Amino acid sequence: MTTPLRVAIVDDEAPARAILREYLGLDPAIEIVAECLNGFEAVQAVANLKPDLLLLDVQMPKLNGFEVLELIERDVAVIFVTAYDQYALKAFEVEAVDYLLKPFGPERLTQALERVRARITQGQPKPEHKLAARLRDPRSPVNRLLIRDGANVHIVPLSKVDYVEAQDDYVSIHAERRSYLKEQTMGELETALDPRHFVRIHRSFLLNIDRLAKVETTDKDSRVAILRDDTRLPISRSGYARLSELLGG
Amino acid sequence: MHPLFSNPGRLTLYLAAWIPAAALVAIEFATVGNLPWGAAIALAGPLALAYAFVCLAAWYPCRATPLQTSGGARLLGTHASAALLSAGLWIVLASAWARTLASMGYTTAFERFSDQVPALFVTGVLLFAVSVFAHYLLISYEAARRSETRSLELDVLARDAQLTALRAQVNPHFLFNSLHSIAALIGSDQAGARRMCVLLADFLRDSVRFGGRDQIALGQEFSLVRQYLGIEQIRFGNRLTVREEMAPALEGALVPPLLLQPIVENAVKHGIAGLIEGGTITVRATRTPSELVLTVDNPYDVDRAATSGTRTGLQNVKRRLDTEFGSAASLRIIEGDGKFSAEIRLPLKIIDEKTPDVPTSAKATAGPPKPGEGGKVAPASGATTPTSARVGVPQ
Repeated sequence: MTTPLRVAIVDDEAPARAILREYLGLDPAIEIVAECLNGFEAVQAVANLKPDLLLLDVQMPKLNGFEVLELIERDVAVIFVTAYDQYALKAFEVEAVDYLLKPFGPERLTQALERVRARITQGQPKPEHKLAARLRDPRSPVNRLLIRDGANVHIVPLSKVDYVEAQDDYVSIHAERRSYLKEQTMGELETALDPRHFVRIHRSFLLNIDRLAKVETTDKDSRVAILRDDTRLPISRSGYARLSELLGG
Repeated sequence: MHPLFSNPGRLTLYLAAWIPAAALVAIEFATVGNLPWGAAIALAGPLALAYAFVCLAAWYPCRATPLQTSGGARLLGTHASAALLSAGLWIVLASAWARTLASMGYTTAFERFSDQVPALFVTGVLLFAVSVFAHYLLISYEAARRSETRSLELDVLARDAQLTALRAQVNPHFLFNSLHSIAALIGSDQAGARRMCVLLADFLRDSVRFGGRDQIALGQEFSLVRQYLGIEQIRFGNRLTVREEMAPALEGALVPPLLLQPIVENAVKHGIAGLIEGGTITVRATRTPSELVLTVDNPYDVDRAATSGTRTGLQNVKRRLDTEFGSAASLRIIEGDGKFSAEIRLPLKIIDEKTPDVPTSAKATAGPPKPGEGGKVAPASGATTPTSARVGVPQ
């Protein structure tokens, strides 16, 4: 218990960071290791500084609080700090330790910190990695992919994605002549995408239908998708059925 | 189905109106046709009753040829043929009835019925014409009643929109965030905390005061926007810059209160708040000869998630403009390349009654008279060259 709790503050508003700094200053067993002004910085701070606790705002530039959780290794405790109560349920689902509603007093923060310490000393199981990604609201449209590359985050708009290739537990996302590796299974990604634009043409390939130039039949039952940039992707029999259905309807 | 059949009271009234018609026909039979009075009444009564129902058919051609949109030839053609047809049908009914009465042993007077046919036919045509006239009256009465109901509904909608605007105004999250900022400032900057309390109180007081009115001066609306953005500037620091452009002549232009509020709120929430570097919100008022043009511009993050922005605020503004000005006002959104622009156009009305919205007016005076500013002359080109610009600097 003598090692201080290493905390990263994540909030884009200066007064909100100032009040956390002030409240945390009351507790000698706290070390503020980072103050992040947006989601990018939060992802970087977690990767580089490995804090014990994130005090995380929800609405921020670039990445919101939940998107930050989607991108980081979850060996960090999280307390959400927001003026909105509508995210409380979702925060509970991603196993946040606590949910502080602005404005709050120092006692409320102390209470939350006690919970964090209790969780750490009891060695409770860490929330499962990538939990947040699966909890994405299926009704809300996904228009971009978030990819972490070390401490950096890439935001790839779906309209720029050519195709996605499965690679074991990862997917390789090809967009604008680059490819990005994301730790997610093909099935998970496929369900998150709009089926009117992305079709699984093969067990290992998910194609943005807008990129398809033509389908070439090589043998009597084997077909190849040729993309606008001349990339050739295999089409399986069931993949061809899905493709025909999409193009026919 | 004819509207009279769904209303027994009105149907009775209508049939009562046919008693004089029945009397007229009976008199015709008795005097011109030389029938005995008894026979004339026995013949005329049922005939008038039958024709009362035949004439209800006038409703259909009346509905098919509205007075306002149908040409004279079409009106005349439609109703003349309907009248001839109805009168013809009446004659057929009349002959049948006359024969029935004759066969029931009445006097041979009925055998002279055929002499009455031309006069009866003319009467039939005239009665049908009266019915057409009555039906047009009925239709226009119904239309007037519908439009009255509609205007009542619009009233309710307008009040609804006002309430919604007011509620959006005192957006609880705005309040919570502001209170959180004040709590933070108390620790580090007591003077700043006090300043923010005053700003917040001023804004709340004015929005409640102005929100209850039908219209306020544009100068007052801009002052509300200034107070709101002043508070947000404390939250966002140097990420939020505000630029305000309004020709002084437009300060007295009338606008519905808090019209800009949802748009400015959007500009902060979905624009500035999503940008790491922040940006400038520009609020501008210009005019055309007959319109007041209000625009709010803000930058936004092109990579933002699709979920941000449900646009209920903008929809409320649109609904309010629709209910208050109909097609005379509009809200246009231009979005792309990281720039968002909302443009409101509404009829220009300036408080000073001596210089109403005349296109050539170069002397529109600013609304609320201020010392040394009364009768200030606005340039005719005020629509395109804003004469005052204020750049807000964060505290």
